[in-house]
Amino acid sequence: MNEQRKDILDMLAEGKITAEEAEQLITALERDQSLVATNSGIRPKGKAKYLRLEIDTIDGGEPGRVNARVPLQLLRAGVRLTALIPPQALAKANAELTRSGVPFDLTQLKPAELEDLVDQLDEVTFEMDQPDAKIRIYCE
Amino acid sequence: MIPQLLTMRVARPAGRPIRIWVPVLPVMLVLSPLLILAALAVTIACLVYRVSVLRVFGAGWRLFCALPGTRLDLREGRTALLVSIR
Repeated sequence: MNEQRKDILDMLAEGKITAEEAEQLITALERDQSLVATNSGIRPKGKAKYLRLEIDTIDGGEPGRVNARVPLQLLRAGVRLTALIPPQALAKANAELTRSGVPFDLTQLKPAELEDLVDQLDEVTFEMDQPDAKIRIYCE
Repeated sequence: MIPQLLTMRVARPAGRPIRIWVPVLPVMLVLSPLLILAALAVTIACLVYRVSVLRVFGAGWRLFCALPGTRLDLREGRTALLVSIR
């Protein structure tokens, strides 16, 4: 509980203000706090809308740049498509993965779990710095 | 909300950059005969592979509706390609 909210509740307990006045003060306080959070660029968890991918390279002396913005909604929609992959295709993919030394069972991947994974991307920031390339992946 | 406008910009080392604006809905209307054929092909494929046709079209529609906001910007020296969907 923050200090200002505690002060309001103390005043209510001491009978200095009525319950209605306390409610109005707390509402005003919450409004102010959300305004401060918005202005300072603090993003509430789960509010990211885009996955950003930025790659800067220098190839043969020429600078190159990839700047992609993918809506997270698009990732979620894509993840739902995995539920529609025919079992025969999954079996073939599993066999190929095993043959390549990656014993991964794709049938165990559930769309709900993948959606949870996409939801958690919100807080992911990946940065890689190399002399000839710089990669940054994050959500905004 | 379905995508409204697809914007493409191609810049080449020689010549002026090319800008293309594609209004998605009118283009879809023009291409509707082809889209119907594609839908038929998808339906047949679903029946062959025993996948729910409704779920496939539902997922495809959601994917299509999630496209607005997508942006891809590629630059290599003086060559550049920008694709943006709004």
